[in-house]
Amino acid sequence: MTLKIGIDVGGTFTDFVVTRDGAEPAIFKTLSTPSDPSIAVVNGLTDIAAGMNPQLSLEAFAPTIDTIVHGTTVTTNATLTGTGAKCGLLTTQGVRDALEMRRGIREEQYNNRYTNVKPLVPRYLRAGIAGRLDRSGVETAPLDLDEVKQAIDLFKQEGVQAVSICFMNSFANPLHEQAAAELVRREMPGAYLSVSTDLLPSIRFYERVSTTALNSYVGPKLNHYLDQLVGRLKGIGFHGLLLIMQSNGGVISPQLAREKAALTLLSGPAGGPGAGLFYVRAHGQNKCITTDMGGTSFEASVAVGSPMIKNDGEIARHKIALPMLDIHTIGAGGGSIGWLDEGGLLRMGPQSAGADPGPACYGKGGRLPATTDANVVLGYLDPDFFAGGKMKLDAAAARKAIEEHIARPMGLSIEEAAAGMYRVACNNMAQGVREVTIKRGFDPREFPFIPAGGAGPIHSCLICQELEIPLQIVPRESSVLCAFGMLMSELKHDFVRTFVSRFEAIDWTRLAAIIDEMSREGARQLTEERIPEARRRYDVKLDCRYIKQYHEVSFVVPRELIDRRDTAAIARAFHAEHNRLYGYSLEQENTPVEIINVRVQAVGVTDKPAYREEAWAGADAARALKGKRAVYIPETKTFREIPVYDGHRMRYGNRIDGPAMIEQETTAIFVSASYDCAVDALGSFALFQKGREDLVKSCMKDKKEALV
Amino acid sequence: MAMKIDPILLSVYARTFKSITDEMSISMEQTTRSPILCEAKDYVTGLYDGDGNMLEQTENLPILAFSLAPVCKYIKEYFGDEIYPGDVIFHNDVFSLGNQNNDVAVFKPVFLDGKLVAWTAVKGHQADIGGNVAGGYNPNAVEVWQEALRIPPVKVVERGKLRKDVWNLIFANVRLDIVQHDMKAEMGACTVGERRLLELLNKYGVDSYESHKQALFDATRKMMEAEIAKIPNGNYSGEGYVYYDGRHVGSKFTIRVDIEVKDRHIRFDYSRTDPQTNGFVNGTFTSSASATILTLLQMVNPDIPHNEGMVQPIEIVIPEGTLLNAAYPKATTFGNHLCPPNADAIQRALAPVLPDRVTAGWNNLLASLTTGIDPRNNEKYVDIGFMGLKGGSGAMRGTDGYDHIGMIDASGGVLDQDYEMFEQQTPHTLIKHELLPDSAGAGEWRGGLGVETIFEIGSDDTQLVTFGDGDFEPAFGLFGGFDAGLNFIRLRYPDGQTVVPKNKDLITGVPRGTVYHQVASGGGGYGDPKKRDRKVLAEEIRNGVISPEAAHQMYGFDPKEAA
Repeated sequence: MTLKIGIDVGGTFTDFVVTRDGAEPAIFKTLSTPSDPSIAVVNGLTDIAAGMNPQLSLEAFAPTIDTIVHGTTVTTNATLTGTGAKCGLLTTQGVRDALEMRRGIREEQYNNRYTNVKPLVPRYLRAGIAGRLDRSGVETAPLDLDEVKQAIDLFKQEGVQAVSICFMNSFANPLHEQAAAELVRREMPGAYLSVSTDLLPSIRFYERVSTTALNSYVGPKLNHYLDQLVGRLKGIGFHGLLLIMQSNGGVISPQLAREKAALTLLSGPAGGPGAGLFYVRAHGQNKCITTDMGGTSFEASVAVGSPMIKNDGEIARHKIALPMLDIHTIGAGGGSIGWLDEGGLLRMGPQSAGADPGPACYGKGGRLPATTDANVVLGYLDPDFFAGGKMKLDAAAARKAIEEHIARPMGLSIEEAAAGMYRVACNNMAQGVREVTIKRGFDPREFPFIPAGGAGPIHSCLICQELEIPLQIVPRESSVLCAFGMLMSELKHDFVRTFVSRFEAIDWTRLAAIIDEMSREGARQLTEERIPEARRRYDVKLDCRYIKQYHEVSFVVPRELIDRRDTAAIARAFHAEHNRLYGYSLEQENTPVEIINVRVQAVGVTDKPAYREEAWAGADAARALKGKRAVYIPETKTFREIPVYDGHRMRYGNRIDGPAMIEQETTAIFVSASYDCAVDALGSFALFQKGREDLVKSCMKDKKEALV
Repeated sequence: MAMKIDPILLSVYARTFKSITDEMSISMEQTTRSPILCEAKDYVTGLYDGDGNMLEQTENLPILAFSLAPVCKYIKEYFGDEIYPGDVIFHNDVFSLGNQNNDVAVFKPVFLDGKLVAWTAVKGHQADIGGNVAGGYNPNAVEVWQEALRIPPVKVVERGKLRKDVWNLIFANVRLDIVQHDMKAEMGACTVGERRLLELLNKYGVDSYESHKQALFDATRKMMEAEIAKIPNGNYSGEGYVYYDGRHVGSKFTIRVDIEVKDRHIRFDYSRTDPQTNGFVNGTFTSSASATILTLLQMVNPDIPHNEGMVQPIEIVIPEGTLLNAAYPKATTFGNHLCPPNADAIQRALAPVLPDRVTAGWNNLLASLTTGIDPRNNEKYVDIGFMGLKGGSGAMRGTDGYDHIGMIDASGGVLDQDYEMFEQQTPHTLIKHELLPDSAGAGEWRGGLGVETIFEIGSDDTQLVTFGDGDFEPAFGLFGGFDAGLNFIRLRYPDGQTVVPKNKDLITGVPRGTVYHQVASGGGGYGDPKKRDRKVLAEEIRNGVISPEAAHQMYGFDPKEAA
């Protein structure tokens, strides 16, 4: 029997999901402790131990935990708030300002008050060192080690905590960087060190220097946090496996996270997309749109077989070129504030009331109307059953805020104004979903939609109507989806090498050698993580483009195609992916294709929570009915008394016709008049467009039997 | 048709229009091949109603921001009732409201139930459009035919059928094959927009769309009027200067603007501007008016939607035959680059009444383009020196200028080449690309810093084209702020001789091993430098962007203060 715990540290709450094979996953939430997030981790584990049957002390419980998978926002927050380490940079003479200039972009072109971001390393700590490699990695001037030494002396004198090294064209030859690194290690043994070719040996100087500098910027903070966490866990007697969630949707050992801290910049939300895939499997699907609506932000991502990855992300306007999940974030959440612009148009967000003071209905002094206030007025939230009744909401305060700031100036009733806020918020989120679907060449109508976050399923029907998505899956664990997803994640290590070559002139021996070298590196790390051979996999990708294009397309290439030297098959895969993304390919024109980068992802398969089918309970949901209340129905723009169900008492096969409300302790689900609901084999609420029973066959007894 | 306005639906329309033009823009970025499109993003995407009124636009370069609506109206009139579903229309002609010859537009009418309800349009700067010189910048041109192929409105697709003869006629006059691909990309983006717009119209119906779009124009007009009402009523005048027309050494021209603000209306009158030149340094009405609007927009709330309502309170008068609106058949390729002096004239005019909103002068564009045969593979390369041309912006009260942002007509929308990609795609070797210390105009708020670029040319018989300004007059300071430095481009040949190209020039036979040296200087300062925050100044000295000498001379900084 294995006991696994997923832990997701958020801004307000720290979420826990506990699985023991066979048993239903248990959910816990505890208040976060931002000054030292590891305190909340121990607090939560204490609660979980106390909730065990029989009740256990923390010290008795901790040794029984096999695995803890942990997502952290330590590095994200350090970057967003500009509180990372004091850093120094060793780079090539003549280009030391690349990091600060960011290729000369100003994101807001009409806003002359929009200033540049503070560089990750101040200019006086960016040293341009003599020494040069040409475009193919041949040394044209030797590295000046005296200058390196002088820079190190300055760094020591200035109390620099972390050093980055990134030289021109090092992607083609790491020797200069290695020589400089050796000196830094010797002279500054206590400093955190990031070397660009260890982290990201691929072409594009700005992206590489920015990624390397980010790694140094957040490295010391993450190390400090992991010291605290590991110390506390050890202190309570935990001696199982601790894994850290990384931005690419995989997990790594804490040791590797310490060295490559930038891998965790998207650690928090990275569990979500993989979790979505787990739940849609109950419906025979292998793709989904996963969304997560929090207090201030709304995140959307797509998975087809596995979550979508991008290699050109950014955080706080700094480029990061390590592979990370393609998660699109917009400023829309429960705390998003409604306001009227100068032309009198209603807008929602991106300003947010956050958790403190929060929406007006929190009664903590917030006076501005937020999305949650509209949800109270519209009846979607029961003021007496918020967070299972642990927090009372002030409906009068919500009404007052909406009246004052929206209804009266627009000449609408409070209810009309609230309905407008709800609608505009949903429209904003629908546009966010378009970013990761339509703009990436996917048709959203073909994807099941997973709404996560406590307030997500209140809005998902309108979002899905807007996008014409016929099927939504609301997992029971939707309020802690990311923590659950962490338990589903594999160990993943990404490697990249630049290998510029046209298709017709590939040096196959060298290509295979590069792939083997990266695979060996991956194998070494998986060995350290005690993953047996049988559970390892090495996925190869090529970044290619038509000659004279600027942007590459990254696509999977089965290893045997490379061993077979099958240029034609590889080219076909490229044309197909280009066509899917951009609506055309140049296959007919015989336009030459060139490779720019080769990637390997080493995967170590982990133990997953068991896929466990609930017992069939029949279509009748009457025993879960707990009452009725008046709720706003967007389709008719009227309030109507609709049934309210207790989600905890609904079981596999139960059917509900919309409109209806389903409430769980941490989630409220609004089934609009356009959808019906059936509980699936995993206990998820499957909301399907009226008349589309065909989408949820596995939830229908007769159809199910027919299927068997 | 006077349908009741649903104020909420109005927000939905506004947001969706914007999302459609954004999507068209992404389609362009990802599918075009010329670096000036996919890297520099020199294109605009837009939606227009059936009459050609702007519903929304996504402009990556502000200079293109308002260049499509006038053409759209013109095209509708031009074809009258011979516009059909499935038509695709090309246009670039600067004498029928085009802005620059190389900016070739695609217009696609959108029909619903047989009625023309909207247009989608894309305009992008094409790598070549015929004429005497590849790429279009021909400093010796005096007439339009020496610059480009003229394309008045022409249907390349009619009722869904490609007119092969027309297509071939156009591309038989264009040097580069990629232009065909990039024009297809423009057509593709129009289709993307059409598809999305029809989804929206099918959902809410044409009546709802017609009445709500009108309400949207009204709401936006009100926003713009409210902004204009904040400017005190009165008449304000300013000047900006242009140096050298590419033909007459020592020539200088003046742009004069007379601005009248009356309650909720603003009028820009350029009647006193110098006459047109006899070279290619001439503006077109559309390009000049875009320059005026983008400068005004930087002085108001940046959130105002970009639709017809926004431009309604603005009146622009530019008589034909002046420097900013050349008469047929004058050469005009340099016209977009008259934006900086035009902006200077407006900032100078409004500075006394809008001291919180104007900026000091921005660094003026000085650009170069190298072409040659790459000795590594014997293939032709073309490199536009984006990284070298981006100087600093002017300071404003309370905010320093932006370092290395580039010309005001792009405002940070054009990016540097990546250094390593530059060395892969050209035979040149980068030696230096860094912020230039002391290049910014001093002030209580300093101008943005400029940049210094040095590289070694790696091909034999290289051709260099320069176009721009800013080497005679620096970006100006305001309210006691200092002027910035001057731009230059210099070549040091392997034999030791130094060549300084004129600011609009074409130099051939540049040998391998020549060192190219360029400075794009800073922006002007604002307010008395002596009042600059000493802590910030000490930090800047430590960071080496202001030298101790300059700090002492210009800012009156006493090193002891730093301690």
